[in-house]
Amino acid sequence: MRRLVADKLVFATAAIVIVMAAVFALLRVAG
Amino acid sequence: MQLSFAVRGTVWIIIYLFFILAPLFALLVGPLPPTRDFWTEFSVAIGYAGLAMMGLQFGLTARFRYVTEPWGEDVIYHFHRQISLIAVGLVIAHPLILFAIRPELLALLNSITAPWRARFAALSIYSLIALVVMALWRAKWNIRYETWHLTHILLAAMAVAAGLLHMVGWSFYLGAPSKRALWIGLTMFWIGLLLYVRIVKPLFMLRRPYRVAGLRQERGDSWTLVMQPEGHPGFRFSPGQFGWLTVFGTPFKITGHPFSFSSSAAVEDGHVEMTIRNLGDFTSTIGTVPAGQRVYLDGPYGAFTIDRNPADMHVLIAGGVGITPMMSILRTLADRGDPRPVILLYGNRDWDSITFREELEALIPRLRLTVVHVLSSPPEGWTGERGFINAAIFQRHLPPPYADHEYFICGPTVMMDAIERALAELNVPLSKYHSERYSFV
Repeated sequence: MRRLVADKLVFATAAIVIVMAAVFALLRVAG
Repeated sequence: MQLSFAVRGTVWIIIYLFFILAPLFALLVGPLPPTRDFWTEFSVAIGYAGLAMMGLQFGLTARFRYVTEPWGEDVIYHFHRQISLIAVGLVIAHPLILFAIRPELLALLNSITAPWRARFAALSIYSLIALVVMALWRAKWNIRYETWHLTHILLAAMAVAAGLLHMVGWSFYLGAPSKRALWIGLTMFWIGLLLYVRIVKPLFMLRRPYRVAGLRQERGDSWTLVMQPEGHPGFRFSPGQFGWLTVFGTPFKITGHPFSFSSSAAVEDGHVEMTIRNLGDFTSTIGTVPAGQRVYLDGPYGAFTIDRNPADMHVLIAGGVGITPMMSILRTLADRGDPRPVILLYGNRDWDSITFREELEALIPRLRLTVVHVLSSPPEGWTGERGFINAAIFQRHLPPPYADHEYFICGPTVMMDAIERALAELNVPLSKYHSERYSFV
């Protein structure tokens, strides 16, 4: 159970980090 | 007031994400260097975030009990392994995106002509690749655990330090002194966590040694190490938890070994016992430990305990030496005079190798305990369960509804996988079964 939650957290973390990196880039490009 | 484990777990996730994203977005504060295209900025962002995630790995493995408690040490290490693949993927994607949009940058791969900032990037990435490859194939390549562990730490420190030097050397975002100070400070903090685990914590352990008070040979080629705190009261643990044991050498030794406590958690004098099966590695030396030997224990750790999961009835499922945390649970329940029913399903190869066989019999009158032995190589005339623990055995020995009980499982990985499938067949919700998988590689 705890392991499955951890697996979901890994995917969630990856998704959040990639989306926020895109936000970072968009903010830069938008000036 | 003590926060619930769920709240604490959530708070730590938020803090974890904060330490990845805040240093990244701090780069956007104040005067900025000239804007570049989206993909360049995106690749830079994932490079920074990947490095922050790598640095936080030192925190995940620093054994901060308050941090790991909500999850359990085994799950933290599982997360550590999985997230490292993501972090390394992000770090490697950073140059790959740049090479794709600006092929002329491929010239930086030539370490002879490349500037130092590119050499540090290459060193960081090569270290990360070596680190991941060694972690994934250590067992297959038969690399000694101790050798791998030391290499793992050195490669991780080198990858993070070289990554920082690459960023500082490039001086695009870190040209501003405040931003440079922030990232240098963060990296020092991450490396500081490593020093905490390897120097500060062992210093505390050095002041809290244990003395081997006895050694008992058990059935199933196992030994029980009885340890008494020396000059301090010891620690309290919950039945089912484990500790890191250092038998030969000082706490500064790189590799400790995790073992479950097998003694009762209800004892007052702080003594603890660990029962260890000879598996041919470090464990083969346990039988030679002399009485009076000084040893070091770091603990308690782990979320695999009945104290966190109140139940009307406990079902304990053990395979082989997986009996050790169950023994601690049973001894503790007996010492506490717990009136709740307990069923132990215990798988072993044969009758003679059943560790704690006699003591389990002796515990029956002290508890509402039912012991079901399951033997894969039973003796002639055996009328009990044979083969491996499965759904049919559950149905023969457990009272329905099966979803009402709490299940504690400890044993070889193959067995735990099979048990979890069997419980799923009986529609037992995931939240009802608890297992701990010792895999710290």
